[in-house]
Amino acid sequence: MSISLAIDTSTSRTSVAIIDQGALLWHGYRDGATSHGSAVPALVAAGLKVQPLIGQVVIGMGPGPFTGLRVGIAFARTFAMARTIPVIGVCSLDAIAALVQEKNDFIVATDARRKEIYWAKYQGGLRIEGPSVDRPAVVVAKGFPLFGEGAVKYSIAQSDEEQFPDLIALVTLGENLEMRVDGPLYIRHPDAVPTRERAR
Amino acid sequence: MRIEPLVLGIETSCDETAIGIVETALKRSKLSLKDIVAVAVTAGPGLVGALLVGVASASGLALGLGKPLYGVNHLAAHVSVDLLTHEMPVEPTIALLVSGGHSSLLQIDDITSSVIKLGESMDDAAGEAFDKIARVMGLGFPGGPAIDREAQAGNPRAIDFPRGLTQAKDWATRPFDFSFSGLKTAVARYLEATPDYVRPDVAASFQEAIVDVLLLKAVAAARSTGIDSLLIAGGVAANSRLRLAAQKRCDEARIRLRIPPPALCTDNGAMVAALGSLMLSAGRAGSRLDLEADSSLPVTTVSLP
Ligand SMILES: [Zn+2]
Repeated sequence: MSISLAIDTSTSRTSVAIIDQGALLWHGYRDGATSHGSAVPALVAAGLKVQPLIGQVVIGMGPGPFTGLRVGIAFARTFAMARTIPVIGVCSLDAIAALVQEKNDFIVATDARRKEIYWAKYQGGLRIEGPSVDRPAVVVAKGFPLFGEGAVKYSIAQSDEEQFPDLIALVTLGENLEMRVDGPLYIRHPDAVPTRERAR
Repeated sequence: MRIEPLVLGIETSCDETAIGIVETALKRSKLSLKDIVAVAVTAGPGLVGALLVGVASASGLALGLGKPLYGVNHLAAHVSVDLLTHEMPVEPTIALLVSGGHSSLLQIDDITSSVIKLGESMDDAAGEAFDKIARVMGLGFPGGPAIDREAQAGNPRAIDFPRGLTQAKDWATRPFDFSFSGLKTAVARYLEATPDYVRPDVAASFQEAIVDVLLLKAVAAARSTGIDSLLIAGGVAANSRLRLAAQKRCDEARIRLRIPPPALCTDNGAMVAALGSLMLSAGRAGSRLDLEADSSLPVTTVSLP
């Protein structure tokens, strides 16, 4: 396993880490829902000062707000292209779920803005439903404990820990071919189209 | 297109294609990323989402390659593209930048550091006026080429459409600004009032009104600044009537005229690369890797620090 540059821009926190054999060599983050564009290169440049030799890039593919997500993925792809190294995508919600200490089924939610949350349901560490986007009340009605930034924002969280994707988990998940995601998970449904919750 | 020093230019609107653009550019030029000495990218003005993704793509490349990054002004890049086809330096020059998004008259003393705005459109950009009139005449999109084609068979003096901001008081107060909304209204009224209008004549007369006012002001700008060089850039610079009339009027006024080939007039990566290359040659410092794209970057800011 080579040294990984891990990046996630799916939440209001831009996180970057350099990880070797599951160990964190360097980690940095910057908070701000509109600062991904300048945060990613600044953080990566700082990380490269600690370890310039990168073997692969692991990128959180979301779901997440459109522009922030695209900024992270665009950077990851061109950086990998420049270095002729592989780039691996992982569902960002999975990297939050990996740290959740909960025996029963639970839901991880991040902020989708416009009064909605991105969410996915987990059972025994595996994603069994989602990712989807819905109003918080719809997700609460499912009756499972909630974790993640989206749940904390709407005060429906079980705990205010594990808000953001964990980059060690992101890299570990990326080693599993079945957990990989090829492209960005936008999943936002068009505003004008009546959604499932309205039909319900 | 090979320019020295070799700079990769990114003028992009979405990340899904950024990699494709870079790969295509390298394949066409038979070069590899190792040959690149710097990366240049549009930092503004433009749509904020598109700019952010373009800048992220460029900074990923620059950081990955360990090469400098130049975040440059889209409008200055339009002007720089002329250097791909002309060896001589352009400065100092007056630049008339006309496209669907902008209509500006600029004074350029040094394209890498000193761009002064003399005037701009108060309402529609010139290209926008072409698009809107083409639509009411049922000529399709984009309007510029459609009107250009239709006008070939028309008489440019058939109808006397108004020339915006060319009254004596306008020359006194805003000599180098443009306004095309009055012209647009006049054409629409004419079409309404004249059911059996001759379409080629309307197209030619409308086009003539735009070309006339653009060149009147461009030549006046050259005269008033004492600069005997005019460079026309942007998508509307591909217009055949503008190219012809500009040559005639510049010859009469003893102004050297430069217009890039039509293919280089519209938005393209080469123009961004050209400006990056000039910045590098002039010894200008690169931008910070975490530069902030600016959707309303003023034309006077050639590149970001
Ligand atoms: Zn343009």
